[in-house]
Amino acid sequence: MSDWHEAYRRRYKEAKERGVSFFPYAVVKDVFMALLVLCALSYLAIHFGAGLEDVADPTDTTYNPRPEWYFLFMFQALKAFPGNLEPLAAVILPGVVVTLLFFLPFLDRGPKRHPFDRPLITGLGVLGLLMVSYLTYAGAKAPLLNPVVERDPVVESGARLYRDLNCAYCHRIGRKGGGVGPELDRVAPQETEEWLIKHFRDPRSVTPGSTMPQLHLLDDEVKALAAYMKSLGGGEPYSPEAPKLFAANCAVCHKIGKEGGEVGPDLSLIGSARDKAYIRRYVTDPALVNPSSAMPNFKDQLTGTQIEDIARYLSSLGR
Amino acid sequence: MKPVLDWIFERTGIDRVWEALMERHIPEAEGSVSWLYTLGSAAMFVFTVQAVTGALLAMNYVPSPDHAYDSVKFIGDKVILGGFIRGLHHWGASFMVVIVVLHFMRTYFMGAYKYPREGTWMVGIALLGVVIGFGFTGYLLPWDQKAYWATMVGTNIAGQTPFVGPIISKILKGGVDMGAATLTRFYAIHVLILPAIIGILIGAHLFLVVWHGISEPPQRAKPSDGQEKP
Repeated sequence: MSDWHEAYRRRYKEAKERGVSFFPYAVVKDVFMALLVLCALSYLAIHFGAGLEDVADPTDTTYNPRPEWYFLFMFQALKAFPGNLEPLAAVILPGVVVTLLFFLPFLDRGPKRHPFDRPLITGLGVLGLLMVSYLTYAGAKAPLLNPVVERDPVVESGARLYRDLNCAYCHRIGRKGGGVGPELDRVAPQETEEWLIKHFRDPRSVTPGSTMPQLHLLDDEVKALAAYMKSLGGGEPYSPEAPKLFAANCAVCHKIGKEGGEVGPDLSLIGSARDKAYIRRYVTDPALVNPSSAMPNFKDQLTGTQIEDIARYLSSLGR
Repeated sequence: MKPVLDWIFERTGIDRVWEALMERHIPEAEGSVSWLYTLGSAAMFVFTVQAVTGALLAMNYVPSPDHAYDSVKFIGDKVILGGFIRGLHHWGASFMVVIVVLHFMRTYFMGAYKYPREGTWMVGIALLGVVIGFGFTGYLLPWDQKAYWATMVGTNIAGQTPFVGPIISKILKGGVDMGAATLTRFYAIHVLILPAIIGILIGAHLFLVVWHGISEPPQRAKPSDGQEKP
């Protein structure tokens, strides 16, 4: 095919003839390397062991998931691609890179092998390495809070039940669904959990004359539905003061809609990613949640009630 | 002694296998560069460590959400050398990734993927993928908080693949939610499917390495050596 193939074969054959026997020349080095690896492994295994955290708790929403270190760069990269763009960073880009790498021998086909003779490939490699190193470093420094899993699994299973039971035939959430029953994101979060649970067991026990059918659900399902209802519309209602508090304390750095500064993240849709408890903790003392945050803490400037109010307000945004 | 050896050699051909594998000539590499050529065998060595420690761990591990965590605790507390073996397996996984990536970088920057070793490179990329797969599936098995939530993130990310994402996520998790089916699935992938695949791929990779001979350290292109031609 290409004429340099023959030339290469010839040169390689000569290099081989000038070369050395695999055993012991290479084997000695391989064995030495293996022993070195074994020593390092044993040292780490003895001194640090493997570690074991608490048993998995699927209901614990406060846990900050952290992937194994060699996946960190990908999770860090995800942060640069919010919302709808996330699949781009999560799947499409890595997929393209891996495909290109797989077919690299067909993209870079000339006879040149030395890294300095292939500036483009070498440059891309170095660039890729630098990016991965930087992202890994940044990911290791910042606590990872992945919006994809910030949701309470109980709420999630409630949302699934809502779909499975076809509640949307009569009810509306976010303007989607039927008009026979009440609009749930308006009314349901205002009710207490006990009320909701009683309601799901037997609608007529709390709402006499209700036309809603009895659902005959399991206890867990009732709780999941109640949790889902409470999660709608940002959970508890906030006072009219909350947006004003935000304007006075937070809008210097944060944006909601078109109002506010650009120093900190835009919070217009924060409620879709973070729950109230998280926001309350963050506003109280950002360093506890994110040690690298530049945000000041507000525990000395606002009262607990005010912070709660702001947290309720923010968690309702973007729902 | 010699007649015995001769008898064995004649029946098995092991002397000729030794000749072909061990006494084959390889191009000489100089100084520190020659050490870069140990990365492949180092990866093989760590793979052996993982296979041995993994088999030992499997003797006491139970892949069910009710018992997984306790069985891992049991391995650490009660099994003789259990903590050490688990430590080796745990750190071995990280070593594997590091060594395999270094090996990959050596090949990339030395241009060793070029003619006639394209196939070796492609099998190598597949091996890299399998190593990552081992890491991802193995991470869930202790069934502690870290394991559970990291896997949740991972499967959610897989679920974002356009079009097929939800199906992939469902296949990985064995359902909509993470639970018992996820754990048994990951366990089966980790100890049955991936080892079978990696065995075949390592075989192919090693065969190709020996068949084509290991690549020589690259030289700067000179007009006389034919490299200048496109």
